[in-house]
Amino acid sequence: MKNNISKHKLADFFVLACLFLLVCWYAYDAYSASNHISNLILIVPVTIIVLVLCSIEFIRMFTVYEETAQDPVSTVLPVILLFVGYVLTLKWLGFDVGTFLFLALFLWIHGERRKVWVIGYSLVFATLISLFFSGMLPYPMPMLVLSTAY
Amino acid sequence: MINIEDLYAGLNLLFSDLSLWLIVIPGILIGLIFGAIPGLQISMAMAIFLPLTLYMDFMQAMLFLTAIFTGGGFGGSIPAILMNIPGTSSSIATTFDGYPMSRSGKHNIALGIGLAASCIGVIIGYTLLLLLIGPISEMVLKLGPAEMAAIILWGITLISSLSGVNVNKGIISGFIGLLVGTVGFSEAGVTRGTLGSVYLLDGIPAIPAMMGMFAASELFKLVNTKYLVTDESLRKVSVKEILAGFKMAFTYPWVLIRGSFIGVFVGAVPGVGSSVANLLSYIQTKRKDKNPESFGKGNPAGVVASEAANSTSEAGSMATLLALGIPGGGATAVMLAAFAMHNITGGPQFIREQTDVVYAIVFANFGQAFLLIILGLMFIPILANVVKVPMNYLVPSVLSLSVFGAFGLTGDLTGPITVMVFALIGWLFKRFDYSVPAAVIGLLLGGMAEESLIYSYQISGGLWSYILERPVTMFILVLLVFSLFGSKLVAMLTRKVAT
Repeated sequence: MKNNISKHKLADFFVLACLFLLVCWYAYDAYSASNHISNLILIVPVTIIVLVLCSIEFIRMFTVYEETAQDPVSTVLPVILLFVGYVLTLKWLGFDVGTFLFLALFLWIHGERRKVWVIGYSLVFATLISLFFSGMLPYPMPMLVLSTAY
Repeated sequence: MINIEDLYAGLNLLFSDLSLWLIVIPGILIGLIFGAIPGLQISMAMAIFLPLTLYMDFMQAMLFLTAIFTGGGFGGSIPAILMNIPGTSSSIATTFDGYPMSRSGKHNIALGIGLAASCIGVIIGYTLLLLLIGPISEMVLKLGPAEMAAIILWGITLISSLSGVNVNKGIISGFIGLLVGTVGFSEAGVTRGTLGSVYLLDGIPAIPAMMGMFAASELFKLVNTKYLVTDESLRKVSVKEILAGFKMAFTYPWVLIRGSFIGVFVGAVPGVGSSVANLLSYIQTKRKDKNPESFGKGNPAGVVASEAANSTSEAGSMATLLALGIPGGGATAVMLAAFAMHNITGGPQFIREQTDVVYAIVFANFGQAFLLIILGLMFIPILANVVKVPMNYLVPSVLSLSVFGAFGLTGDLTGPITVMVFALIGWLFKRFDYSVPAAVIGLLLGGMAEESLIYSYQISGGLWSYILERPVTMFILVLLVFSLFGSKLVAMLTRKVAT
C-alpha cells in the first residue's frame, strides 16, 4: 500500500513537472515567433500565473500531500492502448473495418465470449454508424470496404 | 414597448395558414437528433437543411430553422446527462450534475428536468426578447473588448476555483486551457505551439478536445463497471419519473429565472452565446446555493441552471440577429444566410419595418416550446434505455461515436486524433485532481480572451488607465478578486470579530 502511495505521488509530481515544462516551452515558442505585445499579451501573464501556482503545488506536494484512492492503471491501460491503436490506424483500416476491429477486440478483452455477439454486434454497429456518417457528412470518410463517397 | 397592431398582425401571419406549422415538427425532430448525437452540431443540421428553405417562404423558413434550433438546444443535453458527452458546447454545464444524477439512477428525473428547463427557458427567453429587443441591442453595442476580456477572466477563475477539490490545481487547469486555446495563428500573424504541423494552424479543434476530455476520459474510468447505473432496481426507464423531473424543475423558480436572464443577455453578445451562458448560470447558482458542495454530485439545480440558460441564449442571439443583423454564433449565422436567401437584411430597419414578422417569430417559438414538450416526452423514454446497456458494449460504442463525431467536425483525422490526445490528458487530469471542466472552458475561451485583450490594448493605446474609465470592466474585475479571495476574507474578518 505504502509503495502504491509513493508511486501515485511520483506520478503526480511527474504530471505537474510536465505541465510546468509545457507552459515554459509554449511561452518560449510564442516569444521566439514574435515578441510583439499583441502576440504575448495573454500568454506572458498567464504563463507567469501558472508557473507561480505550479511552484506552490510543488511545495505543497512535499508538505501537505493528500492521497486519493484510484483504480490501478493496469486495468485501464489495455483500453487506452486499444483506443490509441484504433485512432492511429483509421487512415489505413478506414472507419468501417477499424471500428469493427475496435469493438470486437474491446468486447473480447472485456469478457464477452459469445462469438455471434462479438462479431454480430461489432459488424452491425460499425456498418450502420459508418453508413450514417458517410451519408450525413459533406466530405468523404476513409473506408476500407464500404464506399467513401457521400 | 409592444406595438399591439403589429402584434395582432404577427399572430395573424402565424395562424392564418396552419400549414406553416407542418414544418415545425420535423424541424424539432431534426434538432433533437442532431443535438443528441455527439459531433453533429445544431449549426450543421441547419446548414444541411438550409437549401430546403429555398422552397419555403420567409416565415416558413424561419419557423423551420428556429424549430431545429429549439430542438437542438435540448437534444444536446441528452448525451450530456446520459453519457457525460456534451452534445454541443452549450451543454457543458449540464454534464456537471446531469451525469452524476444518471449514475445514481436518477437519469429519468434529470432528463425530465432538462426538458422542462429548456422549454421554460425558450418561453422566458422569447418573452424577454419580445419586451426588451431594443434595450438588449443597445446594451450589446456598449460592451467593448475590455468588458469581454474581464468577463472571460472572471468566468474562468470562478469555474477553476469552484470545480475541483484542489483550488490551486483548478486554476492551473483553467489557465493552461487558456494557453492551449491560443495555439495556432495569432493576431500578429505568427504561429505558436504548432510544432510545425499544418493541422494546428487554426488552433486545436475545441469540440473534439472537449469530447476527449469529458467523454472519453470518463469512459476510461468506467471500463471496469458493469452498468452505467450500478443498482439494477434503479436502471428502469420510467415516464412517471421523467414527468416527476419535469415538475421538479418548477421547484427551482429563481434558478430558472436567473438562468434565463443570464441566457438572454450573454446569448445576445456575438461570439459568446450559449457556450458561456450555461457556465455563468451554473456558477451563479452554485455560488448562491446554501449547499454548494452538493454541486457536481447530482444537484438538480445544476441541470436547471445550465439548461435554462442555454435555451434562453437562443432568444438572446436572435435579438442580436434581428436587431443588428449580427449572428451570435454558428446557428444564427446559418439563419443570416436564410435571411439573405430570401432577400431580407436584419437590423434596425428590419425591426422597424417588419415588426409583425419579429413578433410572429417570437410567438412561433412559444408554440415550438410546447411542441418540444410533447416530442421530448415521446423521445426521452427511447433514449433513456442507454442505462440498460452493459458497459462493455456502451464504452466502445460511445468511444467510436465520439471518433466519428470528431471526424464530422473537422473533416479529417485531426478530429479523432484530438479526441485521443485529450482523452489521455483528461484521464490524467481526473486521476491527479486537476479540473477537467476548467481546462475545457479555458480552451474554448482562450482565443476570444486574447482577441479581446488585443483590441482593448489597441483602443487604449497601451494605457492602463483606460480600465479606470470603464466602470463595467472595473466592476467585473472587483468581482473576480472577490470570488477568488472573498470567502477567505469574510472568514478572516468574522474570526477577528469573534475573537
